[in-house]
Amino acid sequence: MSARAAAVDSHDVHVTARESAMPTALLGMLLFIASEVMFFGGLFATYFNARASAAGEWGPPAGAHGLDIVLAGVLTVVLVTSSFTMQFGVWAIRRGDIGKLRLWTALTLILGVAFVLGQLYDYSVLGFGIADGVFGTTFYTLTGFHGAHVFGGTVGLTILLARAMRGQFSARNHVAVEAISIYWHFVDVVWIAVFSTIYLLR
Amino acid sequence: MPTTGARSRARSIVRAGGLLLFLMLLGGCLLPPDPKTDAGQDVFNLYILVLALAALVFVGVEGFIVYAIVRYRREPGDDALPEQHHGNTKVEILWTAIPSVIVLVLFVMSVITLGSVEARADRPGVTIEVVAKQWTWDFRYPDGVEVTGSSGRPTELPLPVGEPVRLVIISEDVNHAFFVPEFLIKRDAIDMGENAAPNEIEFTVTEAGTYAGQCAEFCGVGHADMIFVVNAMPRADYDAHMAALAAGATPPPAPGEGDCPTTIQVAAVESIRFDTDSIEAPAGEDFCIELTNNDTIEHDIGIEEIGFDGENVAPGESITYLIPAMEAGDYTFYCTIHPREMVGELKVTE
Amino acid sequence: MATTTLEPQADTYRRSWVLDWLTTVDHKKIGILYIVNSFIFFFAAGILALVIRSELMVPGLQFVDIETYNQAFTMHGTIMIFLFVVPVLTGFGNYIVPLQLGAPDMAFPRINALSFWLLPLGGGLIFSGYLFGGAAAEGWTAYAPLTSERFAPGVGTDLWIIGLTLVGTASILGAVNFIATIFKMRAPGMTLFRMPIFVWTVLVTATLILLATPVLAAGLIALFIDRNYGGSFFDPSVGGNPVLWQHIFWFFGHPEVYIVVLPAMGVVSEIIPVFSRKPLFGYKAFVFATIAIGLLSFTVWAHHMFTTGQVLLPFFAFMTTLIAIPTGVKMFNWLATMWRAKITLATPMLFALGFVSMFLIGGISGVMLAQPPIDFHLQDTYFVVAHLHYVFFGGSVFGVFAAAYYWFPKMTGRMLNEPLGKVHFWLHFIGFNLTFFPMHQLGLSGMPRRIADYSPDAGWTILNLMSTVGAFMIAISVLPFLVNVIASLINGQPAGDDPWEANTLEWATSSPPPPYNFDRLPPIHSERPLFFLTHGHGHAPAAGREHDVIEEPEDDPERRGGLA
Ligand code: HEA
Ligand code: HEA
Ligand code: CUA
Ligand SMILES: [Cu+2]
Repeated sequence: MSARAAAVDSHDVHVTARESAMPTALLGMLLFIASEVMFFGGLFATYFNARASAAGEWGPPAGAHGLDIVLAGVLTVVLVTSSFTMQFGVWAIRRGDIGKLRLWTALTLILGVAFVLGQLYDYSVLGFGIADGVFGTTFYTLTGFHGAHVFGGTVGLTILLARAMRGQFSARNHVAVEAISIYWHFVDVVWIAVFSTIYLLR
Repeated sequence: MPTTGARSRARSIVRAGGLLLFLMLLGGCLLPPDPKTDAGQDVFNLYILVLALAALVFVGVEGFIVYAIVRYRREPGDDALPEQHHGNTKVEILWTAIPSVIVLVLFVMSVITLGSVEARADRPGVTIEVVAKQWTWDFRYPDGVEVTGSSGRPTELPLPVGEPVRLVIISEDVNHAFFVPEFLIKRDAIDMGENAAPNEIEFTVTEAGTYAGQCAEFCGVGHADMIFVVNAMPRADYDAHMAALAAGATPPPAPGEGDCPTTIQVAAVESIRFDTDSIEAPAGEDFCIELTNNDTIEHDIGIEEIGFDGENVAPGESITYLIPAMEAGDYTFYCTIHPREMVGELKVTE
Repeated sequence: MATTTLEPQADTYRRSWVLDWLTTVDHKKIGILYIVNSFIFFFAAGILALVIRSELMVPGLQFVDIETYNQAFTMHGTIMIFLFVVPVLTGFGNYIVPLQLGAPDMAFPRINALSFWLLPLGGGLIFSGYLFGGAAAEGWTAYAPLTSERFAPGVGTDLWIIGLTLVGTASILGAVNFIATIFKMRAPGMTLFRMPIFVWTVLVTATLILLATPVLAAGLIALFIDRNYGGSFFDPSVGGNPVLWQHIFWFFGHPEVYIVVLPAMGVVSEIIPVFSRKPLFGYKAFVFATIAIGLLSFTVWAHHMFTTGQVLLPFFAFMTTLIAIPTGVKMFNWLATMWRAKITLATPMLFALGFVSMFLIGGISGVMLAQPPIDFHLQDTYFVVAHLHYVFFGGSVFGVFAAAYYWFPKMTGRMLNEPLGKVHFWLHFIGFNLTFFPMHQLGLSGMPRRIADYSPDAGWTILNLMSTVGAFMIAISVLPFLVNVIASLINGQPAGDDPWEANTLEWATSSPPPPYNFDRLPPIHSERPLFFLTHGHGHAPAAGREHDVIEEPEDDPERRGGLA
């Protein structure tokens, strides 16, 4: 008993976060994204299930305008571009160039907002709703939840931009930039999956 | 509380032993009902095998726990450490391998049984549409006869004995499940829309009689009221029954006292015997056998040749069995619980 | 708008005390909040169970109407699983995992607080159905299309969906936190394969939560859209598929059942070695078995759907039965730990052994259910109810009580009373078997679950009566526990740092531990750093000075005891 107590006393405590490549916050973001992957996996499963057992033609209900693949294509380009601008921002801050970070973040934010607005416009002219058959339900759910994630991303980007304006990031200290950028790339990848599934795999 | 190690050990043994005994008493015999279909019999046999394996694992593991508690108790004041085993690869492999074998055996037996339960005859004797809806059953027969019911009162499902019966199970609203415990089978009734064809099951009833059935998938407030009763009878009776239903007539009355032109009295008496070893009945018409149980244990009556198996009667009680019409000839009646001790001859004469 | 007048002094005192707990981000306080909150929900769900059992005691409707009964078992199942067993184990994890890792706190203390506070909120929403025309009443599995707006128009079901989504979000955030803590916050020397088994089981559990719960969230959202926005995911009349719900629900639901049992297995793996005075036999085998169970749990979901006629029976039967193998490895490792040991039957050990012996029964009945032909008979009967209580109650809940008795001294600095604990155990154990063992026979003879009433002719009366008596016995058995806890808090024997002569780091600090947990950490050379301090090689108590050079050699053939 006393031997043990002595031993406990004789050692200093080293309880700092482990020194390894990945900061804790980044790991947290990656884990969160893993759960998001499963979430979208669930939604995709509903889509494929409905599509596989659909009796007639798969697509928007008869009488609706049908999907606007051109607009969707443009939105895809917008979002993919925004992934690049985001990454340029990350590279900039890794070099310690906060001015460039501000620039690229602002651009990314603008592209993100453009995407959301474009999608809302698309919804307004499609001519069918979430209650119009199982295609409508799965279509709006998938694209809607993706859109909500883009929107969430733009909120994050806004905060990021505000902090960048105040000069809170540096080459050594910019975990938040890395984290938001991972999230943003993830949202982009989900869109590519959504686009391919709904528009290309017809 | 100073207790010697030996005494506390003895106490533990008594405790543990008492516990096991208690569990066994609670369990009764842990068996499903006597199966009344061929497929049910296969399931029953598989169940017995699985139960035996389960008992083996159960007794082995629980036995070891009790043994370890009793044998390896730390005596008060004993401060020496036991030997510190950290593991042993050989035994790890052993106790991975043995369950693996059990798992494989289970898998093979299951798949074999599954094959016979899911087997489909080329031409079933009859195909019936079972329609489940909140909270009744409808049974639609090929020739347009439809038996309908009302919630809380069992819908009758007449079936022929001894030939494959196919049921197509449909739902008109939420999920339900067709379940007859004595057939050891159940299948969900789901409105699948365009996704898939409705479920089908097939079996051959091996014994005439009435069997309670009930909806087994929770379907709302009336779930417990979704009951039906299978009325299985020999082909001839079945045809007559269905003809009567088709004609819109009330079907022949259900078994009960006073419906029989002829009632034969049989008594079971002390030391596992019938009071007679020969009875006579008229051919070509339904008749009744009244069994009075004067013995101190349960008995019943079965008739081998037509696969009849009556309900058990408790000591001191009596029961009346309605026996469907039989052709003239010599038959054997017996107690299905004591087939060797209690047998007699049943003469059916014109 | 009632105003309470309080003495000004008392006001400030109380406010600061309450505020302290409301705003805490300390993992130990949050852990205790989790545990207390969970036990409140346990009592609520337990009282619902007593309603169920009272109604089923004899044929006929005596106490409640059918609608109330259906709400009772739905709420009972939901609350027990999502607001008792999962959070209470999370609570122990919260308290113990950082301690066992030698860490000062969880990786994300604020997120930790957030995930806790979502729980009472979600649970409150689920329960609030009772205030708005009736709680959800479609079973905890909420099968479509019974849950569609057409068949379940009540707002209770919507509240159930929203509440569960919140609870699910909470556990996802919690899982992120656990994984990050385990990978990032370990003390020097605490390699992955020196982590206590409890930490391993929490790690695998958190991974399951992270990957399974979002799928449930997707399903719940789909259901919500169907009910409120005219969606048709599960509506067959416009191309939806009701069986899809079952796939989604069970894809989550089966991992969920291991989510509730793995940490309990971890608890048991902490307790059995300590009260056997031996190391856990086959540490690595145990870790790999846990991982194997985690992986397999994603491949077996359709064993809940054998009777739907829509799944590949042999595949799912095989994968399901396969889980018996890694689970068996764990069982046998526990048993081997007790072989040639020196066993002390203190209350934590009793509950741990209760876990092993009762979970075994549940596991075996699970294997029986995994054979499709047998399941055709038993599906949706009381046999399944028996199975699920043997694994949930006989498994997880026994594990929870084992953990409570084991770690109470660490959390409060006071011992619980042993005789009272034993009374609790035996009442609990006997009541439990009396309640749930007869259900096997009820199920075999065909009694369907989720019925408020049964026919007196069915022959189910006596067994139901026994079961009801048992249920009240369980309820009574909880009283000694409560008395014990309260008495000990008021006037318990001081526990000291390490009352059990245990092995892991949480016992190397004071009871209760100071903020940020450790003033000094012992060196960590094995999965039993404390044992090592006292006993060195493990043959005789060694002086505590040379420990720096002593490695506990895992592959030294001389020291490999083994059964053979
Ligand atoms: C803690 C929760 C938990 C756990 C751990 C388990 C574990 C298992 N469960 Fe269980 N199960 C539930 C909770 C759980 N279950 C619930 C809640 C339901 C009902 C849901 C509802 O409908 O409401 C359910 C329902 C359920 C069904 C569906 C029944 C039906 O509705 O028709 C099936 C079918 O396969 C099943 C199987 C199994 C199996 C094979 C295991 C295995 O993991 C068990 C493995 C363990 C052992 C086997 C014991 C130890 C092993 C050995 C000693 C080795 C040697 C043994 C052999 C080789 C046999 N369970
Ligand atoms: C962890 C999970 C868990 C636990 C611990 C329990 C515990 C109990 N369950 Fe549970 N049960 C489920 C999970 C659980 N159950 C699930 C998932 C279902 C399926 C639901 C569905 O079909 O959808 C189910 C269904 C279910 C049924 C079937 C209902 C039906 O199908 O119709 C029954 C019937 O007897 C039952 C009984 C009990 C009993 C008697 C207990 C007892 O052990 C409870 C004991 C606890 C107490 C009695 C609390 C003690 C409280 C006090 C002493 C009061 C003190 C109060 C204060 C201090 C304020 N349960
Ligand atoms: Cu129909 Cu239950
Ligand atoms: Cu399962």
